[in-house]
This record gives sequence, structure tokens and C-alpha cells, in this order.
Amino acid sequence: MTRRKWVRLDNASNIFLAARSETDTKVFRLSAELDHHVDPQLLQVALDITYDRFTLYHAVLRRAIFWYYLQDSDLRPTVTPDNQPTCAPIYDADRTGLLFRVMYHQNRIILEIFHALSDGTGALWFLTDLVTEYIRSRYPQQPDIEDTSTAQLIAQPGAADENIAARDLAVDSFAQYFRRPSTTDERAAEVEVESSLTTTTKVFQVTGTRTPDYRTRAVELTASANDVLTLAKAEGVSMTMYLTALFFEAIRRSSDGFGRSRTLAATIPVNLRQFFPSVSPRNFFATVRVEHTYGEGPDDIASVGRQLEQQFRPKASPEALGKKLRRLTRVERSPLLRVVPRPLKDVILRGLNWANNRGLTVSVSNLGRVTLPEAIESHVGAMAFHVSAVRPQMCVMSHAGLLTISFTSPFIETDHIKEFARYLTDQGIAVTVAAARVTEFELAEELES
Amino acid sequence: MKRCHDCSVEIAGDWQHCPLCQEPTRGHASPSPFPAVALSFSRRRIFRLLFFGSLAIILGSFAVQLFLGRGPAEFGAVRSVWLGVVTMWLVAVMAVRKRRNVAKSIVYLVLIVGLVCLYWDYLNGWQGWSLNYAIPIVCGSSILALLITVRSMRIEVGNYIVYSGITILLGLLPIVFLVFSWVTTTLPSAICVAVSVIALVVIQVYRGAEVRHELAKRLHV
Repeated sequence: MTRRKWVRLDNASNIFLAARSETDTKVFRLSAELDHHVDPQLLQVALDITYDRFTLYHAVLRRAIFWYYLQDSDLRPTVTPDNQPTCAPIYDADRTGLLFRVMYHQNRIILEIFHALSDGTGALWFLTDLVTEYIRSRYPQQPDIEDTSTAQLIAQPGAADENIAARDLAVDSFAQYFRRPSTTDERAAEVEVESSLTTTTKVFQVTGTRTPDYRTRAVELTASANDVLTLAKAEGVSMTMYLTALFFEAIRRSSDGFGRSRTLAATIPVNLRQFFPSVSPRNFFATVRVEHTYGEGPDDIASVGRQLEQQFRPKASPEALGKKLRRLTRVERSPLLRVVPRPLKDVILRGLNWANNRGLTVSVSNLGRVTLPEAIESHVGAMAFHVSAVRPQMCVMSHAGLLTISFTSPFIETDHIKEFARYLTDQGIAVTVAAARVTEFELAEELES
Repeated sequence: MKRCHDCSVEIAGDWQHCPLCQEPTRGHASPSPFPAVALSFSRRRIFRLLFFGSLAIILGSFAVQLFLGRGPAEFGAVRSVWLGVVTMWLVAVMAVRKRRNVAKSIVYLVLIVGLVCLYWDYLNGWQGWSLNYAIPIVCGSSILALLITVRSMRIEVGNYIVYSGITILLGLLPIVFLVFSWVTTTLPSAICVAVSVIALVVIQVYRGAEVRHELAKRLHV
């Protein structure tokens, strides 16, 4: 009998378990739109092939006395129609199950993942392989689909000579890079390590009416990627910072005045694989916090965007991130903390997460422009992703020239999304809205029609 | 695709109203990338069920007391505890329901506690403790509570003035107790009336103009 493989849950993933709640399930959704209605049987075949390749996705989450750990399992995933609210809970401590689900709806292939398993980049590798396998079996006559199982991996710097088996359970990139003090530490010494816990100004927070059954409010805006990029470039700001500034402006317009807290703050995840080459699909990102205080200077979108960019650049440098993560890893590895029982660790992490949330208004995440293997590129249209949210969140992704900006929130109110969309349409950009029905009124309207 | 003219956006799915601004949409429906998933539960419905369920049990509990006879001999420890529990429950339900308007919830509280005390006193063979002590003390304290709340929470005058007025009028009610000699212990009633009069004066002096403005607005015919 071979023993089951297991691995302790990594640094960043623990927070997702502690911070998980009824409204914020810590599940994220990635979807790809095809040029035809998805065939469930073929999707199941594609899933089986992809699943065999990604051993990490076989993992189930178990609880030990001091840590959570991922353990290999014999479970097999089944594709299902998309019949649950978006980002419905996946992890249930009382029922061991896989930490992801694959669904289809009309022409969309949907992948939902519990964030403790993987991050957006890791999930994108899985989805790419899944869609490639699906297209391969859907269009068997098309001869030139090469073995694309490594397509996304090779796209990562320095990954070409890594073994594919690296998509294994065991690779914890945090440990690989940040456990030992780095020689570059002296160089990074003057880089200020940011921590949102030390924030002194009171940060504005959006409040609202919670959804009737705590489901995530999700609205997607789709526009031409080029049009929005032109808009950002004209102001000399990167796309992410431009959209963040616009998000701030939308929040400002939709609130009835900030009151005493005129500071808006956003947390932005940074993919660490771009600086620290890794082919592990497990979580490997860090977050950077940027903020803007209104009423203390120019508050137009371009100025705010430039100012956010100035804050973001140094904080998102490999030196600053490395320093921050080495420190976090050191804390995590400290003997004192290691012997704290897991339930108590959860309480501590929950407390830290709560304190951290108080310093944040919104979250922004940008997976950027996705490149798919050439052979399937023409069959795939817009791609989108969004995350369950404890505060208003914006997730951006582009493919096939279409930029999808997805908003999620625990509240039913859509005023900030309205302001955001109207700003874009005022600039002459065509915007398409897609929304999941959330309130009793919206669902009743669907039944009537 | 459907279209919202106010937002100038195209909308995927069969939306009669714009999901962003709730204005009616025009055009033909297209398929939505999100299926409509029925609610697994509705917090609003659960709260309504809890509220009306609680109210039924509370009122039922009070009503059934009449059939159990009255007088100190009939009134055992079980009934005391029972009434205590349902009164607490009623107060909690009202506090939750009226939590968004502090002034209003104080009026409800005074009315509930006052009426329950009267009824309790009646069930217990009418010893007069409700008029002598309970009602004047509750009214007097609620006025103090109101003045403190209004001051510390910086509520807008228009949002509390009507209910503050009602609270103060309730505080003047013990004058009737005194005039008709319904009370044997006069001190609590006298203090309550005094507090009410002082509160009236304070409000007239500091907020007189706003009060008159609000009254003119609300009594406008």
C-alpha cells in the first residue's frame, strides 16, 4: 500500500481558511467563452485528461492539530451545469471534497476554485489546459494542436527547463524563496515595508444591504480592451492604476459624501512568479496596498491614477516584496507560533484579517491579457474572472480584444458599478453588462418573462 | 440585446430593468451568461417569520394570563418567570426592529414596559406598584436617556423631534396620577413630571426654532 502524499498548507493560503465566512466564501471563478454551446460530455473527457495532469487538484483539505494540510485523494471531478450562485462555498470541514468545480453554461466553461488551493495564475493554467483539451476533442479534424499541456507554464520566465511534475502538491514556492535570508537584503534595507495595519488615517468603507441569501453580487462589464487601454495611455497611467482610480471615483460618486473618512484604499495582489520563477500552481502572490485621500490636491482620475502608480511601483518591486515575504515567512516559521493549535491560529488570523480589512475600501485584481495556445485562440472569446468579496471588488482580465471588468460585492447595491459604466460610456466606449440575479425582485422578474 | 438608455449600456439577459440603475430597459432579450438561481433562503422572510412568530407567542402568553385567574394567591413563581421572559422577548424584538431610529425605539420601549407593568400589577391583584413606581421611573429615565442619546449621537432634529415630543408628553402623564390621587407614593411621579418640564424647557430654549419649523411642516394642512 502506498501512503497518501500530503503537504502543509502554505503561507498565504492559511488566511483564506481563517477569513472565510458565509458572505465571503473565498472562492473565485474563471470563465472562458467559446464560439459554440459547450458539450458537457466532451468537457468531462477534457476534465479527466487535465485532472490527471494536475496532481495538486486531486488534493482535499484536512485539519491537523497545528496546521491545515493538503492530502492526495482518489476523488474524480464531474462537470455540472452552472446551477448555484456564483462563488458558492466549496470547502466544507465536515465533508471532504475536491477544492474546485468545473461547470458549463451556454457557451461558457467555468472553473471555480477555493482560494486556499490555488491563485488566479495557477487556475488559469488549469483552465487553459482544460479548454485546449476540450477544443481538441471538439474539433478533431483540426490537425495542428500540439501538446499544449505546458503552454502556459513555458510562458513563465525561467520555467522552460522545469519538470512538469512540478505541478505537484509538494512545491511551496514561499518556502523555496523566502525561508532563508537573502543576500539582497542589504540592498532592500531602505525599501519601506508597508503594512496596512499601521495605517493612521480612517479609511472610507462601503456599506450596504446584504444579499438575501448571502450570495455574491456579480456584475461584468465588457468593453474593447484597446479603447480602455487608449484611455489609460492618454493619461500616462498603467491600465490597472487607471481602472483603480476610476473605481475610486465611482465609489466617491455613489457615496453620499465621505464624512470624516476621505481616504480610499485598495489592495492589489501581485503575482510573485514574475519575479521569483515558479511553476507551482499553488498560491504564490503578495498584496500591495495603495490609497488616495480626497480633498488634498487634484482628485481627477488621471492624477489619482498617477499618484497610485507612484505608490505601487516601489512596493511591487522584487526587493520590497522579497523583504516583506521573508519577514512574514519568518513569523510563520517562528517556534512560538508553530506550537499554537490550529483553531487558535484561526482566531488570531481572523483578528489580523479583520484589522486589515478596516484599512481597505476596495480590492482590485488584474490578471492582464491572456494568451492562449494558437490553435484554440480563435475558438475562445471573452474570458473573465471574479472573486467572492467582503468589500466591493474589481477583477480585470482581457482576451480576444475584449476587456472584462467584473465587480463583486456582498451588498445588493450597484451604484458604484453604474457610475463606473457611465464614465466609460461617456468617453464613447461601448459597454455590455452581464449580471447575476441576486434580489427577490430581480429573480421574480426572470420568472415573469 | 436589451439596452438601458440612462446608462447607455447593452445588457445581456432578459432584464426588464437595468441591473445598474433599475430604469426600464428596451430592446430584445439575449441569453444571459449567468443562470437565474433561486434563493436558497431569504433573510427578509426569515426575519419576518421570526418577528410574527415571536409576536404571536408573546401576545398569546399575555392573553392566557387572564384565564389563569388574578390575585397574589394565584400568582406563583412560574407565572412571574414566564411574564418576565416574554416581556424581555418583546423588548428585544422591538429593540431590533426599531434599531435604526433610537428616538422611536425609546417611545416603543416606554409604551411596552408601561403597559406590561400595568397589566402585571392588575393580574397580581392591583397593589398599585406600577403607577406608584414603575411608570414614573421608566418615563423619567427614558427622557434622560433621550437627551443623552440626542446629544451624543448628533442626530438631526427632524429625525427625533416628534418621538422626543411623545416621550416628553408621556413623561407628563404622571400629573394625572397626582391630580386624581391614584398614587400613594407621590415622589417618583413628581420627579418624573419635573424632569419632563425641564426637558421641555431645554428643548424650547436650544431647539425652539427647529421644533416650530418641524411642527409647522408635519402639521401642514
